Amino acid sequence: MSHVNYVTFTIVVVLFLVVTLTGFAAARWRRTEDMMHLNEWGLGGRGFGTFVAWFLLGGDLYTAYTFIAVPAAVFGAGAVTGFFAVSYTIMVFPIALVFLPRLWSVARVHNYITPADFVRGRYGSRGLSLAVAFTGILALMPYIALQLVGIQAVLTVMGVGTTSSNTFLKDLPLIIAFLVLAVFTYVSGLRAPALIAFIKDALVYLMIIVAVLYIPTRIGGWGHIFAAGQAHLKAISPTTHKPNGVFIPISGNSQLAFSTLALGSALALFCYPHAVTGVLSTKRRDVIKRNMALLPLYSIMLAFIALLGYMAVADKTTAGNVKKAGNAQLAVPYLFQHLFPSWFTGLAFSAIVIGALVPAAIMAIAAANLFTRNIFREFFKPDASPRLQTRVSQWVSLVVKIGALLFAVELPHTFSINLQLLGGIWILQTFPALVFGLFTRWFDRWALLAGWLGGMLFGTIAAYKVATPTTSHWAGSVDIEFGHTVYIGLAAIILNLAISVVLTLILRAARVPAGADETLPHQYTDDPAAAPVPVPAAPGLGTAGD
Amino acid sequence: MTQPPAKSKSSLATHPVASAIIAIVLIAAVFFVLYVPLYARATPKVGDFPFFYFYLLIYMPVLGVVLWIVVTVQRRLRPGPVPDAAAAAGADPGEVAP
Repeated sequence: MSHVNYVTFTIVVVLFLVVTLTGFAAARWRRTEDMMHLNEWGLGGRGFGTFVAWFLLGGDLYTAYTFIAVPAAVFGAGAVTGFFAVSYTIMVFPIALVFLPRLWSVARVHNYITPADFVRGRYGSRGLSLAVAFTGILALMPYIALQLVGIQAVLTVMGVGTTSSNTFLKDLPLIIAFLVLAVFTYVSGLRAPALIAFIKDALVYLMIIVAVLYIPTRIGGWGHIFAAGQAHLKAISPTTHKPNGVFIPISGNSQLAFSTLALGSALALFCYPHAVTGVLSTKRRDVIKRNMALLPLYSIMLAFIALLGYMAVADKTTAGNVKKAGNAQLAVPYLFQHLFPSWFTGLAFSAIVIGALVPAAIMAIAAANLFTRNIFREFFKPDASPRLQTRVSQWVSLVVKIGALLFAVELPHTFSINLQLLGGIWILQTFPALVFGLFTRWFDRWALLAGWLGGMLFGTIAAYKVATPTTSHWAGSVDIEFGHTVYIGLAAIILNLAISVVLTLILRAARVPAGADETLPHQYTDDPAAAPVPVPAAPGLGTAGD
Repeated sequence: MTQPPAKSKSSLATHPVASAIIAIVLIAAVFFVLYVPLYARATPKVGDFPFFYFYLLIYMPVLGVVLWIVVTVQRRLRPGPVPDAAAAAGADPGEVAP
């Protein structure tokens, strides 16, 4: 493991340099007069067309951690906790097609930059908006950290840094990579990941097409790959005394777990602030709609990436290496290293490393915008100029990235993984305020806040209690609720909704004021061609109907 | 199923049949992947792929085409080429909420 392959290493370094230059050059791409506005720095000028948006959203939603974790889960446990991701990325698009165009329109008319901006305008509630912003930041932090874990998996298999016993030296390549990322995000804003996404996606597609066509010929064909996967999952694990996993979900419980995981994750995806950032950066309403039809192309790639997990099982050397390292997340890097020539391994590893940079940058921007718009401006400096807001966001994006770096380097990875798992459950709790809010103002703001709190508490506690013979807590995101094996996030949002409905009825009966709504019905279907004029509107005041 | 409730009455009013068809198509698109018993089988094998895996793989390009048709139809239904005029307010008939 300590042996560094210099061909692979050189290719990764060279491609990393290309990406770095691209990141800095992006500041000049589609340049406008005033970069010091959040519409520019944080949303790339709100001018991306279908083509750019496809790369940006694809690069944003299909993260490097996904490339590592999904096949790792398939490798370890098969269909229910791994391959559900494929079902989830199918469902997400018809669902999102229903509500994302409305979010785009109302955000365009009112110059909303974050999901919490919309909630603020819709319900006139600072508390609910803060809850949404807080949840977003909380869910994004571990997600960014996990992008680093993805890079680390590649570095470990490359043998970079692992030989040193000094913690600082050991993590030095990771620290350098992340500092470079932090600086070009600071300079170029969303334009950097948008431009780098082209390189990322080209490399990822190349990697997966070659892997799918070539690897099966080396290890005995698809028939053997599936047979090996099935045999491995059927085998009884010595620690849990149960089968390793599920190859095809045939029992009722595994089917319910599979579909609730998929549905819950699909509902959650576009509640994530980085997904909203990608959506709001587009030029026209139709760009979003067309992309909902075009993005399933990415899911095909994800499906094949998931199947790499079975390939890693079928390839004895890879399976052995993973077992020796005791870390399923190394499955894909080991598979590539063993079966590809070293130059192509270099390209494939670059795809994963660069694949981590794009979402990490967008997530940091999204978290920074949430802080600036919905915490800093809302509670500390309501008269903050666009310039100041941009400056604050730039700095917060740096802080967020350094925080994520500390997460990844200092804390055990299981901590980040557990938090990310929780992040999915948490972000789903903003769904009623955000998505139902796009269609109806029926729900009361306090009821939604109470529902959010209930869902958050229930989800966190339920996830804490999940145990397996090997792990006492946080062992997964599926648990038995009300006698059925379901995704905790979905159970939590049902509770959330129940609280919201009941309290809304009570508050309505008690004639509690509903709060101001600055949006108008037609604004949810408007399609303004020009981006909103960058005028700093006082929060929640005087912007209605402009 | 947790789906946003139908609210865009204006679109239903202008193109009720097309809107209903689009709503049904979108609900079906989710249902046929959400209802696992439909495809959680090893046979018939397609090539070397167990049916379960083949189904999910082939679903995605099909979904892409279906959604593309939906989006195109929604564009056709839109009245007049004045998308930025406020006069067109609230009249995006393609906007269907199942």
